[in-house]
Amino acid sequence: MFGVIFLPNFHLQTVLRFREELRGKPVGLLSCGTRIADGGMSRNGGTDSGKKAGLLEINEAAARAGVAPGQTSPQALARCPALTILSRSLVQEQAAQAVLWEMAGSLSPEIEATAEGICTVDLQASRDRDWATIGRRVVEALEKLNLRAQFGAGPNPDLAFLAARHARPVLVVQTPAAFLANLAIHELDPPPELFSVLRDWGIHNLAQLTSLPRGNLMDRLGPQASRLWERAAGQFTRPLRLMRPVEEFVEAFEFEYEVETAEPALFLLRRFLDQLILRLTNAYRVAGRMTLTMLLTNGSAHERDFTVPSPTGDGDVLFRILQTHFDGLQLDHGLVGVRLRIEPALAERQQFQLFESPLRDPNRFGETLGRLAALVGTENVGVAEVLDTHRPDSFRLVAPRFEEVGEGTSREDLTVGLPLRRYRPALPAQVRIVRHRPVFVVSEKAHGAIRESLGPYRASGDWWETNRWTTEEWDVEMEDGSLYRLMRNDTGWCVEGSYDEKFSGFRIQFSERAPPPPTASASLLQTHPLNPEP
Amino acid sequence: MPASISELRRLLGEKFPAAELRPGGILPTGLAAVDAAEGGLRRAALTEWYGSSGSGALFLQAMLRMCVREKCFAALVDAGRSFEPVGSPPSTLKRLLVVFCGEAMQAIKSTDLLLRDGNLSLVILDLQMVAPGTLRKIPTSTWHRFQRLLEQTTMALVILTPQPIVEGAQVRIAAEGNWTLATQRRWRGESIQEMAVRIFPKRTVLRAVA
Repeated sequence: MFGVIFLPNFHLQTVLRFREELRGKPVGLLSCGTRIADGGMSRNGGTDSGKKAGLLEINEAAARAGVAPGQTSPQALARCPALTILSRSLVQEQAAQAVLWEMAGSLSPEIEATAEGICTVDLQASRDRDWATIGRRVVEALEKLNLRAQFGAGPNPDLAFLAARHARPVLVVQTPAAFLANLAIHELDPPPELFSVLRDWGIHNLAQLTSLPRGNLMDRLGPQASRLWERAAGQFTRPLRLMRPVEEFVEAFEFEYEVETAEPALFLLRRFLDQLILRLTNAYRVAGRMTLTMLLTNGSAHERDFTVPSPTGDGDVLFRILQTHFDGLQLDHGLVGVRLRIEPALAERQQFQLFESPLRDPNRFGETLGRLAALVGTENVGVAEVLDTHRPDSFRLVAPRFEEVGEGTSREDLTVGLPLRRYRPALPAQVRIVRHRPVFVVSEKAHGAIRESLGPYRASGDWWETNRWTTEEWDVEMEDGSLYRLMRNDTGWCVEGSYDEKFSGFRIQFSERAPPPPTASASLLQTHPLNPEP
Repeated sequence: MPASISELRRLLGEKFPAAELRPGGILPTGLAAVDAAEGGLRRAALTEWYGSSGSGALFLQAMLRMCVREKCFAALVDAGRSFEPVGSPPSTLKRLLVVFCGEAMQAIKSTDLLLRDGNLSLVILDLQMVAPGTLRKIPTSTWHRFQRLLEQTTMALVILTPQPIVEGAQVRIAAEGNWTLATQRRWRGESIQEMAVRIFPKRTVLRAVA
């Protein structure tokens, strides 16, 4: 048994998929459009640019108004002034074709891309023999994806195709002879010369054709007539040209005009997501990564990848990720097209540990990170990663990967001294040196006599590179008790940061509390690497 | 018979101190003084830590250790861009989301976003390196809004300030330390524990008696 999924008016349907406002109104499709080039999107002329384009397809409302395929735009508009004329979009056709293949692939691995909008499936290996139910399921699934489909099933591919063409919306051919009897000859697309001869003979339907002796027909009209007779009798079978569709979850749309605000794009993206998630659900997958491509008026494209922190099939979550990106987005040129691609992933099954507190909602956290990055800049949000160098202030902020954080170590107990609060940038300072030690500093923060100092702590690096550096650092205690770190480098002195800066306007009194007992460790004093020279 | 609700509340508090309700639970800090008095940081509540900049930096280090110990994650919203990660163990840094802000209002907005997110256990807003004049310009309604947001989560929010400015803080902790250059030769853990702190809980809520 073979099945055929047929999308009538395929080209027009693909253009109208995301144009709900045109449903029920007369619409015609011109045969010129766009195409995806090498994974991106670019506009180019249609296949028949240069000659006067006629209407390729029309919908039922247009047909009722007297419009017919092949008419030129002025002819069609003369018959139906309310007619909306659209252009073909190869981008959207490719996306719809992928949907069709995907749906066919869900029935059987043996599928044939028969033509645009037509897919033949070999159902012989199917356990489910209720072809009508299968067909209805396919039609309903495609309807949810904004595609009107017809399904036909028959003992051979040609019969299944004929059944699909006549299905409303599902037709299973159980008795081929009865089904074929009333079909007109042109349903089999015979060669024009042969069709002309048969018409002259008064043969108009397949029953009349099959009533003729096959041998005599071949003697008079040749082997083409014999094959046509076989098809008319439902006896012709052929092997399928099997194809393996690439699992690609892409939706695209090209605007007819330049878009300058985010709302139309977001409106479409929401619909894209609804469609793509339906498809992902059918494939038992969730979204692991999204790629958003926006085609601009100057021909360039703005592309952005979004990694979904916790792969999900929740459209709201995915939409919020896209919406967050649009919040801080400013493009130099108008938008003429948008394309969304989703990389599928398997749903995560995470078993929380008893005493661990992982992120409750990683996707929401990812979205918050996006908002923070939009607010303070991407370079100012993340987890600090110290670089493998002794150069001061050498670290970078990287995207947090909390799900990969392992157990902590006890190394933190080995840290010594007060943590530094660094001034970024360091404050220029003038330092007076007496007997090789700083004794007075003038700067924006630290100002006055230095009571005590520790140092110098010298470091240098990258001497084999052009950006070599040398520093000399001092920890100093000011007369008011504030502790600072001074640094001297090639450009002079600066205050690098503070360990404890007394706030002059406020002082906490702890008169009733005894001072903490001294617990300095003698061994530490000997082993501390920063222990200054005596 | 008690004459008013507040008197009744006080009476019940004296009779049943263990019945004190901490709506979101407690986050142990590892700071002996704080844990002894409060059990730790109150979740779903706003805590203000004020004192010298050194005390704030040490508190931050204590919280980094807490994150490793409690296996939780925290965020630091640094309005003064003063956080120095060099010297801290990588295992602790991996649990801390750092947000460097250029100005105080940016830090307030960032904190707002993190509180609404509700994924982390602790958010620290460091305002200690912000000029007092700028701090005074922050509307007091900000702190009340933070408290309202916190009440819907189990997060703890600690705001580090040079002086008490956070109106509506559920707990206020004053910290001070007499650090000298000699402190630079001592274990950091000892310096953390030796910080002198005083705790001022603003209000407590009593569990309803059935």
